[in-house]
Amino acid sequence: MKSSQTPKPNRRTGMPDHAPRWPDRLLTWLIAPHLREEVLGDLHERYQLRVQRLGEAKARRRYWRDLLAYVRLSMIKRQSSDYPTPFFLTPGMLRNYVKIAFRNLVKNPVFSAINVIGLALGMICCLFIFLWVQDEESVDTFHANGKNLYTAYQTFSSPGKVDGKYGTPMRVVNQRAVFLLEDVKSAVPEVQNTVFYATGYELPWGHPETFQTGEKKFKLEGSRASRDFFKMFSYPLIAGHAETALNDIGGMAISRKMAELFFGSPQNALGKSLRYENKLDFRVTAVFENLPVQSSLKFDFLLTWEAQKSKLEWASNDFRTYVQLAETADPKTVETKINRFLQPRLARNTGVTTQIGLQPFGEQYLHGNFVNGKPDGGRIEYVRIFSGVALFILLIACINFMNLATARSVKRAKEVGVRKVLGSTRGHLIGQFFGEALLLAFLAMLVTLLLVTLFMPLFNAFTGKQIASPLTQPSFWVSLLGLTVFTGTIAGSYPALFLSSLQPVRILKGVLRFTQSAIWFRQGLTVFQFGLAIILLVATIVVSRQTRYVQDTHLGYDRENLLYVRIEGELMTQRNYLLFKEQVSRMPGIALVDRSSEAPHVMGFVVDANDGAANTSQDAINWEGKEKNVSVGFKPTSVGFDFVKLMNLKVAQGRDFSRANATDSTDAFLVNEEAVKQMGLKKPIGKWISAWQKKGHIIGILKDYHTHSLHEPIKPLVMDVKEYEYFGVILVRTEAGKTKEALASLGKVYKELNPNYPFAYQFIDQEYEKLYRSEEVMAKLSNVFAVLAILISCLGLLGLVMFSTEQRTKEIGIRKVLGASVSQIIMLFSRDFLRLVWIAILIASPIAWYAMNQWLQSFAYKIDIAWWIFAASGFGALAVTLLTVSFQSIKAALMNPVKSLRSE
Amino acid sequence: MRRSDLGEFEEVVLLAVAVLVPKAYSVMIAEELERETGQTVSTGAVHAALQRLEQKGYVTSVLGEATAERGGRRKRLFTVSALGGRVLTEVRSVRNRLWDRIVPPTLLEWS
Repeated sequence: MKSSQTPKPNRRTGMPDHAPRWPDRLLTWLIAPHLREEVLGDLHERYQLRVQRLGEAKARRRYWRDLLAYVRLSMIKRQSSDYPTPFFLTPGMLRNYVKIAFRNLVKNPVFSAINVIGLALGMICCLFIFLWVQDEESVDTFHANGKNLYTAYQTFSSPGKVDGKYGTPMRVVNQRAVFLLEDVKSAVPEVQNTVFYATGYELPWGHPETFQTGEKKFKLEGSRASRDFFKMFSYPLIAGHAETALNDIGGMAISRKMAELFFGSPQNALGKSLRYENKLDFRVTAVFENLPVQSSLKFDFLLTWEAQKSKLEWASNDFRTYVQLAETADPKTVETKINRFLQPRLARNTGVTTQIGLQPFGEQYLHGNFVNGKPDGGRIEYVRIFSGVALFILLIACINFMNLATARSVKRAKEVGVRKVLGSTRGHLIGQFFGEALLLAFLAMLVTLLLVTLFMPLFNAFTGKQIASPLTQPSFWVSLLGLTVFTGTIAGSYPALFLSSLQPVRILKGVLRFTQSAIWFRQGLTVFQFGLAIILLVATIVVSRQTRYVQDTHLGYDRENLLYVRIEGELMTQRNYLLFKEQVSRMPGIALVDRSSEAPHVMGFVVDANDGAANTSQDAINWEGKEKNVSVGFKPTSVGFDFVKLMNLKVAQGRDFSRANATDSTDAFLVNEEAVKQMGLKKPIGKWISAWQKKGHIIGILKDYHTHSLHEPIKPLVMDVKEYEYFGVILVRTEAGKTKEALASLGKVYKELNPNYPFAYQFIDQEYEKLYRSEEVMAKLSNVFAVLAILISCLGLLGLVMFSTEQRTKEIGIRKVLGASVSQIIMLFSRDFLRLVWIAILIASPIAWYAMNQWLQSFAYKIDIAWWIFAASGFGALAVTLLTVSFQSIKAALMNPVKSLRSE
Repeated sequence: MRRSDLGEFEEVVLLAVAVLVPKAYSVMIAEELERETGQTVSTGAVHAALQRLEQKGYVTSVLGEATAERGGRRKRLFTVSALGGRVLTEVRSVRNRLWDRIVPPTLLEWS
């Protein structure tokens, strides 16, 4: 207990007077207030005496014992008072608070409405976004083994370049695909199951596949998976067993929907046979329940992996590998073990190292993009952007509340003064104003609840989701309550602190002036509010302009009146194709018919030395004067003679394919300008070029045209004539305005020549627009958000202007009497607010520019962010502000001064 | 008057107040009792006893002036009330009467 420093001598007595400090504090807290003085005095005096008599150490020890002697009821018990301070949450006080709050609401219906509507709009935004985010996050999380499921991805590193994609390596040995991780289970004990999965509908070659039984023909989208699929994933089976569903190479699992389509009921379907693409028969070995919307894997039927390997076409070069690990396994160690197992099996000396990584299965939906060879980003970015925006809109609404409440504090100041005089502490007042904000937030919540239920179907249509009404979920109510309390607390914070800090003496004397910092704070809030609104406005303009740019850009070919039909069934033979072409060309409404190995608006097939395929020893495409180690990502495509004419492509140099030229079907290649540039050819015409086994000469150069969405730059293209290919699409150019006749003609010929397939066609312009679906949702949402932000900000502004005109009624009267004109008075009011908006524009523009520039990076072809976009959104904000302000200020300015000055 | 109205410690404190008047306050009383009995007496115990005595009406109190040793705090000064004086006298006479009846041989045995 001994203090290390020597006590300072007391000035008057010359004695040290350091009684230990903190016991005093303890006593102060413990002893009843009316006894404190005596008790502490006694203790200190006794301590002094003892220090003199016994020395400091002993005195201190005694001090403690003395102190303990005071711990008795008679010392601790508080004296009762005739004027007690009631606990501020007594029912009586509460009733008073609620009454006052209610009176304030009713007395100023306009302000209350502005507040409630503003808060409700903010909360609606938040709630919808919350539902959307919750739905996004629930994707793929319903599997019982969810925690132990992983998606394998590969990281390819070559000097100076790291790429990544899903899937695992395969090699072609003796014309057969060998999947290198097929038997990893035996080598790595932690791996419990491995499943390969590939869709049949993915681009570039995938498509809905045709099934037939009797007269029933349907095209359905499905996939192939290896045998443990149903053991690993929790897709419930209605008929059949998970063990045997995919065992048999001739078996297939179908969905309830497909079973009902063909056989009426799932039970009937089991064991029945379906004809696939008019060439193979598959027996139904299992029927699974229709897939939940939360499944990122989509399929209506599953064929076996064995069938895929030996009998079926690949839809793309991609397939997925899913791994189930043991409960206790650490994915990092398993990754190392898998890689150790894999390395000796990979092809050597390719200059590319391949590493396997594992990503939790539940994450692949939101984190599906690859950066530096690892999954990073993806849809999660939209989730983040939208959550951020929703939060900001809520903040704007809260700022409205703060601004209005503090501006209007003049009205409440007297109440604060009187309450303080009557013994209210600051704590009570803070509680009261927080309570009022919460009450208002609660009202807003009721409005929110009503509107959310009302707009739920619209929201679903908007986002393309199927979110059920959330009212039955407890988590929704919890988050709603949380949101309400959060909103109330944020909105009430500043008003509560501000109002409770007012000095009763000054208020009741009638002097209430806002301090400079309070004014700045309020103006800062307004600037912040409008800054956000302007950023959203800029975003809206940029996004919608980019969307329009994408839709209006001339792609280098004419996509109007252009449709395509898949080459399948009988059309796969050259003879039937030519017959079809010839017959259709003679029908009404048809301008031209030709073919292409891929739908020309989304050509996904790229040949690249690094594409992970096994045949990297020799590049697929070679040309005269090609240097070693040059790798060009070509898009090879095979077309018919009329393709260039049909597509309206421009030939820059040389000539088009021609039937008149006998060698054109075997020896001629067209390339585009980009290809010439990347191949490094000076005089390309006449140089030899080869694609796989076919060798020929370049006869012409096409002007660059877009073969993919504008997210990607134009790739080198190499084109030849192959009318005998068994795959691809038939392109049909219809005569403008005669689409109906053209479709009728096509359907008729198709039915005759290809009776086993339903006639299905796609319009290129519609399909092209589908490539930008996520941008379109983004554009729509940013529109909604911008409108909301402006709306809420203006509501707040309206409130502020109304209040300030109300406050300055007399001033306006006097000004008018002294000769001010209406326009001068309007200017007087507008100037302050317009200045704030100006500042907001200055601050928001660079931020908006930065953000939108980031967004545009995902496009290879994009608009410039021109200065006028900022000018326009700034002008828009100013105009709306002026409109809001002048609406009120004109009313105030037109008032008869006699009326405003008469009453005193 | 019943015995239980005045505890032994209370009686001693009351006596000390009577002795120390007009400077009777808890620190002085505690010090005085320590000196007389040779045992430690805490101010807390004295204070509590004084509270009880005041409740019973045997002492009255006023706040005195502040001193430096007390860190500028005032002290509460006690005086014996008339009732307190009577009670003390009564207790003493009871004791005296009993003492007087002890026969001399017994007293001799003790000493």
